Amino acid sequence: MDTARSEIILSIKDVTKSFPGVRALNGVSIDVRRGMVHGVVGENGAGKSTLMKILSGVYKKDTGTIVFDGRTIESTTPHESMQSGLAIIYQELNLVNTMSVGENIFLGRFKEMKGMGGTHAKARELLDSIGCKVSTTKLVSELSVSTKQMVEISKALSFQSKLIIMDEPSTSLTTEEMALLVKIIHQLKAQGISIIYISHKLEEIFDFCDIVTVMRDGNVIDTKPKVEFTRDELITKMVGRTIENEYPERSRKVGDTLMEVKGLNTRKLHDIQFTLKKGEILGLVGLVGAGRTEIVRALFGADRVRGHSITINGKPVTINNPKQAKDAGLGFIPEDRKLQGLVLPFSVEHNISMAAIERFTRFGFLRKSLEKGIGAKHVQSLKIKTPNVKVAVKNLSGGNQQKCIVGRWLEIGPSIFIMDEPTKGIDVGAKYEIYLLMKEIAEKGGAVILISSELPEVLNMSNRVLTIYDGRITGEFEPEHVPADTIMRSALGLEGGAK
Amino acid sequence: MNALNTVLKEYLVLLMIVGLAILTAIVEPKFLSPANLTNIMRQFGPLILVSLGMTFVIIGGFIDLSVAGTINLVAVVTISLIDPLGQTGALLTGLLIGAICGALNAVLILTGGATTQAEALFITFGMSTVYSAIALIYSGGSTMHFWDLETSYSAFEVIGSGSVGPLSVSFVIFLASLALLWIFHTKTAAGRAISLTGGNKTAARLAGVPVSRSIVLIYTIGGFMAALGAIVLFSRITTAAPVIGAGFETNAILAVVVGGTTLKGGKGSVLRTVMGVLLVILLNNCLNLLGVSSYMQWAARGAILVFAIWLDNRKEVQGNQL
Repeated sequence: MDTARSEIILSIKDVTKSFPGVRALNGVSIDVRRGMVHGVVGENGAGKSTLMKILSGVYKKDTGTIVFDGRTIESTTPHESMQSGLAIIYQELNLVNTMSVGENIFLGRFKEMKGMGGTHAKARELLDSIGCKVSTTKLVSELSVSTKQMVEISKALSFQSKLIIMDEPSTSLTTEEMALLVKIIHQLKAQGISIIYISHKLEEIFDFCDIVTVMRDGNVIDTKPKVEFTRDELITKMVGRTIENEYPERSRKVGDTLMEVKGLNTRKLHDIQFTLKKGEILGLVGLVGAGRTEIVRALFGADRVRGHSITINGKPVTINNPKQAKDAGLGFIPEDRKLQGLVLPFSVEHNISMAAIERFTRFGFLRKSLEKGIGAKHVQSLKIKTPNVKVAVKNLSGGNQQKCIVGRWLEIGPSIFIMDEPTKGIDVGAKYEIYLLMKEIAEKGGAVILISSELPEVLNMSNRVLTIYDGRITGEFEPEHVPADTIMRSALGLEGGAK
Repeated sequence: MNALNTVLKEYLVLLMIVGLAILTAIVEPKFLSPANLTNIMRQFGPLILVSLGMTFVIIGGFIDLSVAGTINLVAVVTISLIDPLGQTGALLTGLLIGAICGALNAVLILTGGATTQAEALFITFGMSTVYSAIALIYSGGSTMHFWDLETSYSAFEVIGSGSVGPLSVSFVIFLASLALLWIFHTKTAAGRAISLTGGNKTAARLAGVPVSRSIVLIYTIGGFMAALGAIVLFSRITTAAPVIGAGFETNAILAVVVGGTTLKGGKGSVLRTVMGVLLVILLNNCLNLLGVSSYMQWAARGAILVFAIWLDNRKEVQGNQL
């Protein structure tokens, strides 16, 4: 490994950045070398995203110096940084869905490409160079996440990028797609392109990164060649304490039937029926788009569904909207934290209290002292990191935002807690805390319905899992006693009810 | 430096009002004459009432272009009912019609499945023309005057030009409305539900907040306040034409946004709107006094609206994080 010898392409020195009430970066220094894959790991809120947004010109740094490719960068715009050879590929990808692959790669540069003919020809060349076979005339909206990433990478290459930043690129990829991405990363590396690879997943860091930087609370904790890190050391440095287990022990107090669902049919779902027991964590396993989210949304009254029946504790209940679901004792953490969960410009306190407004209302008037108590209680018990409860929730990190939503529902004390991707984009420490909460809810006689794209998470947390494929339940398993690949085969529609 | 920035941003409108007033008073001493100040107060009356209602619609994340039609309709119907129903009956019916027009907007928006401000904009724009058309058909297109009435219209005279101590009656109506709406918005559960709806409809609904009810409420308040504005307006000019509401929708939206309530919904205050209305009216008054042509005045108003939205977006960018 010549990790120390190649020249420095990007030098970040003592960069700080503050936001109202939060110090996001606290004198960060990192050197990135040519042709290296530089992993950046850290919990949510560690400052990784802020740093990357400063590099790409979305934010302005407060102090510090950044030298990229021999030039000092004072302030930049996303467009300028792209032109100068620094490309960033965001988690949520930055493509125009209604335009074609080729048009996206050369967006705004059709003239330079001498029209659409040149655009598509050059796009073809770039895509071929990374082994991507997608047609350049296909609409981006029709592509899988993985292919969209290939398009983004091609776009970065079209600018002769010297440094490509990838922000959690693996979040929505399958294993095969991931393998392809790794292959491309190696290829880019061979061409002398540096890569900053941001990730939560330690496997990836150990798989193909050369140098690793660990960040925590806006500081760089350590930077050294991967080979000098042990797995435990990396985790400890990330979370600032030792974590023994990734998952708590399974809850053992499964009791009688709590809820029964029958005849749930929509355009996408076919005759869904299942039961949920007291003290149980029930996992729904399936591919994205298989109908997992549709099932829980229908249960919670978020989408209009007719003709199904729900009984809770033996009594039939009608749930036509989320309000009725809430009154029937259901709680719901939706899939998309920012779009469906939080009121971003509102304070932490208001976001926590919003499902429980009736509890601090008398004669229609809010009793703000009670509301304050509710906010403070959950900030404390869930260890939500925030300067105070009046701070806008958008200023918090992902994990802390998620805890606000959890707190919102804990205040209501639902007996059935639906969690759709509750740990998505959340760091290791906060994940464990959410696992403990699930277990606690179950052990107190409630039940949890858990959806997660991370298979190990569902399998380790659930007492029972249902596999969903193409809108049908294709199997039911106790993950403790059944091998994971059997469950996965069922979720892929290869065994069980569906043909 | 940071603190100064914040103060500047928070009180920019107030500073502009004071600056504008001082500037005009220096250039044109007539500005401070009692006649002109009374004139400002009178213009303030109807617009502030309509704008207070509009504030709720915008905080709730929507917009209401129908107030012009509502004002037209309420004005001609109310004045025509004074003879058959008496003053109290006419007044109450007028306010009720305003509230119904507003509620109807909300029902159409909800049943039409409109979820964006743009959709609401077009629906209420359509309804404005409908309400205006009904006003025209009802009145036969003619203007009605107090002096044509056969029974007493004393109460309306009081609303239009009476005073309580040093304050005009319309100003007292404004103060009462402001106090009630401010308390409603900041102190009640229904007010909170409206803010949450404006902040993020989807999240609010999934937390069991009554979003549909909030939407009906904001438009009903909007319609009711437009009706109140209509009554104050025609009482002052003692005449109700089926077109007197023209321009109120744009001026009200301008006042709300200039005041600092964000068009994105969620955040805002009726108190801010008071400043916004003051600025809009002062600007009109100053430009008039300075002899600026009405075409230029339109341009100035447009520029201020764009500036207000730009300022609002800048705040958003700086507050963003992580």
